[in-house]
Amino acid sequence: MEFYLIVLLVYLGTDLLAAWGLNLEFGVAGVANLAFILTIAAGAYAFVVFTLGPSAAAGNFQQYVGGFSMPFPVAVAAGGVAGAVVGVLIGITGLKRLRQDYQAVAMLVVSLMAATVVSADTPFLNGNAGLVVLPNYKPFGDQDPEVQRWLYVAIVGVVCVAGYYVLRKFTRGPIGRTLRAVRDDEFAAAAIGKNVVTSRLWVQAVGGAFGGLSGALLVAFIGGWSPGTWAYVETLALLTAVIVGGMGNDLGVSIGTFLIAILLLQGVQFLPQIPGHIGLKEDLGWIVLGVMTIAFIWLRPRGMVPERRPKYGGGS
Amino acid sequence: MQLFVEAIGFGIASGAVIALGAVGFSVQFGMSNILNITYGSLMTLGAYVGLFLIDRSVSPWVALAVAGVVVGAISVVFHRVLLAPLVRRGTRAFALVIVTVSAGVILQYVIVAFAGPDAKSYGELSGQTFRLLGFVLTASQVTIIVIAVVLMLALHLLLTQTHLGRAMRATASNRILAQSCGIDTDFVSDLAWLLSGALCGAAGVALAITTVSFDFSLGPVFLIPMIAAAVLGGIGQPYGAMLGGLVVGVATELTAAYSNPEYSQVAAFAILIAMLLIRPRGLFGAAWATRRLMA
Amino acid sequence: MSTEGRPILEVHDLVRHFGGVKAVDGVSFEVQRGTITGLIGPNGAGKSTALNVIGGFVPPGGGRIVFDGEDVTGWPMHRLARRGLVRTFQLARVFGGLTSIENLMVAAPEQRGETVLGVLAGAPYWGAQERDLLARSRDMMRSFGMEVKADEPARNLSGGQKRAVETMRALMTKPKLLLLDEPMAGLSPSLSRQLEDLFLQLAADGMTLLLVEHELDTVDRLCSKVIVMAQGKVLSEGKMSELRARKEVQDAYVIG
Repeated sequence: MEFYLIVLLVYLGTDLLAAWGLNLEFGVAGVANLAFILTIAAGAYAFVVFTLGPSAAAGNFQQYVGGFSMPFPVAVAAGGVAGAVVGVLIGITGLKRLRQDYQAVAMLVVSLMAATVVSADTPFLNGNAGLVVLPNYKPFGDQDPEVQRWLYVAIVGVVCVAGYYVLRKFTRGPIGRTLRAVRDDEFAAAAIGKNVVTSRLWVQAVGGAFGGLSGALLVAFIGGWSPGTWAYVETLALLTAVIVGGMGNDLGVSIGTFLIAILLLQGVQFLPQIPGHIGLKEDLGWIVLGVMTIAFIWLRPRGMVPERRPKYGGGS
Repeated sequence: MQLFVEAIGFGIASGAVIALGAVGFSVQFGMSNILNITYGSLMTLGAYVGLFLIDRSVSPWVALAVAGVVVGAISVVFHRVLLAPLVRRGTRAFALVIVTVSAGVILQYVIVAFAGPDAKSYGELSGQTFRLLGFVLTASQVTIIVIAVVLMLALHLLLTQTHLGRAMRATASNRILAQSCGIDTDFVSDLAWLLSGALCGAAGVALAITTVSFDFSLGPVFLIPMIAAAVLGGIGQPYGAMLGGLVVGVATELTAAYSNPEYSQVAAFAILIAMLLIRPRGLFGAAWATRRLMA
Repeated sequence: MSTEGRPILEVHDLVRHFGGVKAVDGVSFEVQRGTITGLIGPNGAGKSTALNVIGGFVPPGGGRIVFDGEDVTGWPMHRLARRGLVRTFQLARVFGGLTSIENLMVAAPEQRGETVLGVLAGAPYWGAQERDLLARSRDMMRSFGMEVKADEPARNLSGGQKRAVETMRALMTKPKLLLLDEPMAGLSPSLSRQLEDLFLQLAADGMTLLLVEHELDTVDRLCSKVIVMAQGKVLSEGKMSELRARKEVQDAYVIG
């Protein structure tokens, strides 16, 4: 039971980081990034590739590029950087001023394309089988496994707190205002001197970094990562959390993440098993997710906790 | 050389199926200005409806027709009940895409819940093999090509020779103007969704016939080549989608023949991304319905 | 050589086609500093297109634009805005998710809180500038009589209020040249009058205005010089009173 609590906390922490990143990109800056899962995947792969030794040295049991045998903090940082880089690359494909729905479909396609390429190109990241971190991976040296796990929860917690602190700097104040202006009307924003392209690329970098950190911290905990882990529907789960929670509102999105990632997607695990239908519980989870997304877009598109702007008063 | 010609042959066969799906998708976009991602899961539904019938010894071609009817009906209802009201309320295009993606996910997992996640098959339907101009095609593939051509022709005749078809083209290009000419645009729109939905269901069965086995991911996976074909031809433009289907089909098969077969899907992805980045309005523009593609 | 004597805006042989239609077909004119210039003409004359090209919303097909002594042909909107060439839109485009006063505050140029360094350094770095910005925005809203709507989300404003916010927002950028596309459209006569007085004051203080307008009385009251366009070309220029008398101007309005 205690172990399960640890799992929930780690999932919650990493999902929050990811949701904050997506909210910055979509809720605050209005970027239709349906390929966000790629930043998370980049972070996870980068972490593994930085942590493991060279593939040849382990007898090519797994094939991959890199293999730098770096300590935990370096590998996590590498994950963040990888997420930022991938975020910017995705952003570059969005530079052509397409209609938002075209852009969304293009991002979806990029997401699928990346999955196909990584699956097929085995020497790159071990193809469809994915990569496994060393089975007895001990980021903190030799400790009692119990202590290890709680230490890990603490690490995730610290990264989340620090992450939230940094996030607020981007979602509030003058820059938060400018990003929302670009979101609401990019032409009017350009007409008052805002450089839409650079502000979007910066957002993609920061949002991507959050995604990358999320992936890196998650993979160190669950031990492995393969194309199945980052199917395009995963972005949808995060997007639902953002939409349901409250687009553009950090607190709202946090609540939404808790609701979707923990209550819903974990909650269905507790449903009784129906014989002959293995996996029905997860299917149900996705169905409810889809229904919630549509319901909120229909009834309450701003989410449970809508974005709130500061009140200044007219002054006197 | 033999490899090349065979690949072209396979390309025409798969191109026919892609064209079938792409035309339906294009018609929906042309009529309602919506990128209906649910189309993928609806194809899957068509395939499973076909499976249900074929398992009960129904002829695959009858199953294709029935699947078309079923998916057509569901498509009309889907548009009327969910999409049209959202559009009326001013929901943004991006939110509509999210809605159709979500609906697709719901449908997909409902199918899995009922039919299970394991791979299915229509069984051995290929029939005789023909050698035609150096192409090697099975009887099934030839039949599908014929069906696709017949349906395209039927659509063409409908659009150009009938009063209803003209009404559809008018509504697609300028709804308000069409209304002021006395056209019942709601009815015409419903009809368009019915017909395109039928093509969607038929495409699903055709896909299942041409693949050895399939599962619930059938529709979404093949949706990408179909969108690529539609965009290539000029989205909203059914004739462009027909040609686009052929191009995408052949490109996919050539890629599979000359490099890693796992990369064959990438050909379709690459075409789509390239078109969206370089020339979103496609090769032939949107002659049927002019839509603003740039923000 | 100082730019004082030079016109603030020079347009040379400007061309803009839209798929076969010559919307702007070789247009040349000058705008002097500190003046209010009007751009008038019948529907379809190409006035809005010309304004769109000068404002960087649409790239020119040919010709040159010189702003404040610098060749700015083909510059994107945000670059022009930073140099002081700012446009408003015909259909008021406010930032719906921001409050009215935020719409004004966001427009101020060179905000410390927008640079990467500034963001990371946080409120201690940009706080003082924010307070000044807030004060300036409040003053502007008060002068337009809209201070009660300061915290209202801009999407909830009426059409006229949105227009006012957009105008105030443009003014917050401290432009040297302000391009206005039908600023009086849809405004009540009293509000129109107030806006006219504001424009005259701004010009007196050194700002230059170029406006496209259909209300010829407004143009008469405000503009020291008027440029008449028809069918993509400049037909005539001069004072409104002189132009009314010229035959070709009368014909243009009748024939369109």
